[in-house]
Amino acid sequence: MVRAIARRLATGAVTLLLVTAIVFALAAMSTGSSLPGESVEDTSPLTPEQRAEIRALYHFDEPLHVRYGMWLQDLLRGDLGRSFHDRRPVAAKIAERLPATLALNAAALLLMILVSVPLGALAASSPGSLLDRAAGSATYALYSIPVFWAALLLQLAFAIRLGWLPLYGTQTSGMEAAPLVARLHDRLAHFVLPTVCLAYPGFAYLSRFVRGILVDNAAAESARAARARGLAPSAVVIRHGFRQAAVPLLTLAGFLLPRLVGGSVIVETIFAIPGLGHLFVGAMFQRDIPVVMGLTLLSGAATLGGVVAADLLYAVADPRVRRA
Amino acid sequence: MRARAADRIDGTRGSLRKAAALPRPRPRATLAAAAAALLVLAVACGETARRDEAVRDDVRAAMAAFPTSLSLIGKTDTNSEIIARLVTDSLVQYDATLAPRPRLAESWDLAADGREVTFHLRKGVLWHDGTEVTASDVVFTVRKVREPATEARSAIGQFESVESIEAPDPATVRVRFKEPCADPLDPFTLPIVPEHVAGKDPDILTGRFAEHPVGCGPFRFVRAVPGREIVLEANPAYWDGAPSLRRITFTVLPDERTAYGALLRGDLDLLGVTPDVFRDAATNPQAARLRRFHYFMMSTWYVGWNGDGSNPFFTDPSVRRAIVLALDRPAFIGAVLGGLARPAVGTYHPDSAWANRSLEPWAYDPAEAARLLDAAGWRMRPGGTRARDGVPFSFTLTVPAGSQEITDRIAAWFQESVRKIGVEVSIEKLEWRTFLDRRRAGKFDAVMARLNLSPSPDQFELYHSSSRGRGMNFMGLADAETDRLLEEGRRTVDPAARRKIYDRLQVRLHELEPLSCLFGFAAPVLVDRRLEGVEPSPLGLWTVLPGPRAWRWRR
Amino acid sequence: MRSPTPGCAVPRRGHLPRGLVAGGALIGILAFFGIAAPFVATDRPLLARGPDGWSSPAARSAFGLPDAPAGRSATAVVMAPIPRAPETIQLDSVLAPPGPGHWLGTDGLGRDVGSRLVHGARVSLAVGFLSAALALLVGLPLGALAGWSRGPIDAAVSRGVEAMLCFPSLLLALALLASSPPWLSALPDSVRLALVLGITGWTPAARYVRAEFLKLGGSALVDSARASGAGSLRIAVRHVLPHAAAPVLVTASFSVGSAILLEASLSFLGLGVRPPTPTWGGLLTEAAAHLERGWWLALLPGAALFLSVLGCNLAGEGLRDRLDPRSRP
Repeated sequence: MVRAIARRLATGAVTLLLVTAIVFALAAMSTGSSLPGESVEDTSPLTPEQRAEIRALYHFDEPLHVRYGMWLQDLLRGDLGRSFHDRRPVAAKIAERLPATLALNAAALLLMILVSVPLGALAASSPGSLLDRAAGSATYALYSIPVFWAALLLQLAFAIRLGWLPLYGTQTSGMEAAPLVARLHDRLAHFVLPTVCLAYPGFAYLSRFVRGILVDNAAAESARAARARGLAPSAVVIRHGFRQAAVPLLTLAGFLLPRLVGGSVIVETIFAIPGLGHLFVGAMFQRDIPVVMGLTLLSGAATLGGVVAADLLYAVADPRVRRA
Repeated sequence: MRARAADRIDGTRGSLRKAAALPRPRPRATLAAAAAALLVLAVACGETARRDEAVRDDVRAAMAAFPTSLSLIGKTDTNSEIIARLVTDSLVQYDATLAPRPRLAESWDLAADGREVTFHLRKGVLWHDGTEVTASDVVFTVRKVREPATEARSAIGQFESVESIEAPDPATVRVRFKEPCADPLDPFTLPIVPEHVAGKDPDILTGRFAEHPVGCGPFRFVRAVPGREIVLEANPAYWDGAPSLRRITFTVLPDERTAYGALLRGDLDLLGVTPDVFRDAATNPQAARLRRFHYFMMSTWYVGWNGDGSNPFFTDPSVRRAIVLALDRPAFIGAVLGGLARPAVGTYHPDSAWANRSLEPWAYDPAEAARLLDAAGWRMRPGGTRARDGVPFSFTLTVPAGSQEITDRIAAWFQESVRKIGVEVSIEKLEWRTFLDRRRAGKFDAVMARLNLSPSPDQFELYHSSSRGRGMNFMGLADAETDRLLEEGRRTVDPAARRKIYDRLQVRLHELEPLSCLFGFAAPVLVDRRLEGVEPSPLGLWTVLPGPRAWRWRR
Repeated sequence: MRSPTPGCAVPRRGHLPRGLVAGGALIGILAFFGIAAPFVATDRPLLARGPDGWSSPAARSAFGLPDAPAGRSATAVVMAPIPRAPETIQLDSVLAPPGPGHWLGTDGLGRDVGSRLVHGARVSLAVGFLSAALALLVGLPLGALAGWSRGPIDAAVSRGVEAMLCFPSLLLALALLASSPPWLSALPDSVRLALVLGITGWTPAARYVRAEFLKLGGSALVDSARASGAGSLRIAVRHVLPHAAAPVLVTASFSVGSAILLEASLSFLGLGVRPPTPTWGGLLTEAAAHLERGWWLALLPGAALFLSVLGCNLAGEGLRDRLDPRSRP
């Protein structure tokens, strides 16, 4: 078992290396003739010599493999490099944004599960019923609302018209000195709207997914046997269904995590939460290669970690796979 | 609108409640708990952002993005310039009439040959740490700006013409130019940084100075949280009188609607907005405490024609003009932009002293447009499109993609308008970097974007034939008379003679139309009625003289 | 349809599940509007009478023919239900609410929303369905191959899937669309977008199918099928693949909607469909600028999107009921 895990991790590392190389090439090749952070129309532009000097500062004219080699070398020394955009250390930029993103995504994932799993179970307990169809339609309707729209409407209702919740940010400015309870309260209030916005599009997919698996499993032999033993239908769904559902749910979880990080860009922008999604997209547009690479490394490692963990749990949950 | 928002939210809750009411024990418990938790959070966390009505002494403003750098001179963008102009001072700075005014320089002398300027510095001006500002700080700043590693993008090109700069004594700065310089003052609107602080960092962009900048301006830097906020406070020892405001807080709000919401809630005191929001504020009861005004920005919305011969259309000035004549700009401004723009005539800001006021924007005249195209050989074909020698008049308009939805509206209107005179346009949207790359390489038929204007009359980089392929002259303009006027304008020191040269240049450019300026946009502003002294200016609210130094709350 | 025992709401063979019928019908209607857009919403007469007799200017323009020489002087006899072209700008009726002149109102440039909505169906549905189909086309065989053959092929495919998961898919899409290699930019907008979205979206299908093949590879089901003389391909397609139907179909039917929404974000970044071609996503993005003054701008594209997502999922669930062996009695 231990050797299997080690082998799995090693192949994961190789995959990650490959991915970073490809991302590096993609990002570097699309830099073109521009300079880092070139973003305004300049009426007094640089001379070709000045452009060349600035490009040299960032090794823009070195061959691709040399630049990737430099990046790897720095990485082995534990240095993620400095951002092309503002020349601050990439590690610092990621570190100051990581907590907000993690908290937001964890909260959204939790809300998604809290809503979708019971809803899916409920729908699965009587497939084809009015309840099933209503739950389906309602979640599809939610899914069809673009996030930026939902965010605007929620802000308008709860933060602007009613004034119940804060409009933006993760905390009220100057709250650092407040007592712990007040600070916690302030934080929680700030997270309500962004969490809802990040979670609701997932309700449909997750609840339908859960329903689909539970319905399948309810029809399976073991469940029929259980029913024959006189168990109530709902008990069959829950006891037998969920045990069987664990495997595909784990597979799904492996996918959801990295997608959440990417999917939070719009929410982060609208709610003015400086998080990783915003940093990532900004960096891509600015061709800020060190930041793109740092984030690719981070999300790649998280994804592969998740996949490996899911595979292992999978083996534990399903004896057939363990044998294979 | 309000009813709809409520509908949707109730709809969501309704389905939750309905689900929870069904007799399924375990899911119900979980659901009810989740719903209850949400509701409790929603209601209990209602925070009171309403401020008390006592007289205020601080201003809360928004920034669309955190400044790239707080080093005051390096990696400058719009937002870092605002911070730089509040935190420190320059030798001269423009007022609302775009005239340069003495700041750290009390006075200056221009040499008769136009190649030298001597600044006499104001004495007794102190940095925020109490040290006196000297001529060597100025020399240091210029040296630093000219280092490529500082990446002072907008300034580095301006100092290209400076041959030497020296400080013969602590109160004098002498600048020698490589050739006669038309506008020796313009480069010296550069914010000055203290040598004894900034000079300690080997890299000005990453050192301690960039984390906590020190200046000599009306406001002192207090703190910044990257990506979130910047706080400044008044400098009571400012040489030109302490500002009335005690504190300015900038919150980073990337989404313009969120920023508007924050203004409506009372979290902000003033905000630059979009025309759509501006219109809403006129009727929104929550916006009653706000004063609405607008100013015309130092920018123009242009279409640049590629006249280098790579396409058969735009080497002919009459064709370029014909396209502009087909655009009914006043109608578009009225219907789509809510009146918050005006047709532009050229790249000289209409409020600038250098603008040639005898020139008028081309008026809408589709008949004349058709006549010009006919005369140029582009004749109407049966299908309703024009062609010359079998080549259809069909070109690509390249626009930068971005958050500005207005680009789409202008592009669609442009396309429809010229279709009516038989010209086909396809629109190509490129991501900003790609757009710049393509424009620099001259790989386009026509480009449309926004151009920032300079208060200086010298537009050598934009129109001189020697700037082709390297700078802003992406149109490929090579006109002998334009070149001659630009060169003469740079050499001439006598104000009246210069005025004549630039008047003539503008007439020539209007005939040639290498770059058609479509609109000058207004920047609409919403500001709390009780905050006085916030005045429109082409430079905006923050970087102009006197700027926030003159703002005060009404008692 | 409602059955007394949960889990047995399964139709007999030969009867189509009701969801499949309803979903198919919904998508059929939307697709009809998309395909027939040049006849449903156009400013050219469907039927006109001129000096040369009867003609159909709408049909001529739909098939890319120039107007007949006499077309302009013909008198319109039958107009389209929405007699407006999607690009026509009317600066004198900007943001007009739904009414007699414009059934579904106008947008910020006075363009007819109904016309734009109908024409938008073409690109949006094409992008949605093509990208989902592409994802299945790549994902199913790869997943099946990996799960079936195990060994080195499985390892290669699995690492490929993992690598795809690590990629910032937006970067991949941006790099492909922004660099626009000639073969890619030569394609029509909808195919180009579908290709890029399909390339980045095939992994879930591959993963689910692979898992199912791994699970059933050595099971009694396969052994018995093999014993009865079925070939590998037949076993894979007839006996194993249907077991993966549930998650794969749910995923695929959602990917149609998400592709339509993704097109909106890509349009927003300027890498989507070229203006002025309307798309539902583009309409929704435009609507955000007129939040206060034009409620109809978002409501209708949103409803269209909802109906297509609902249709896909109804059809997907119905199809699964029909295919999935576990849900058969």
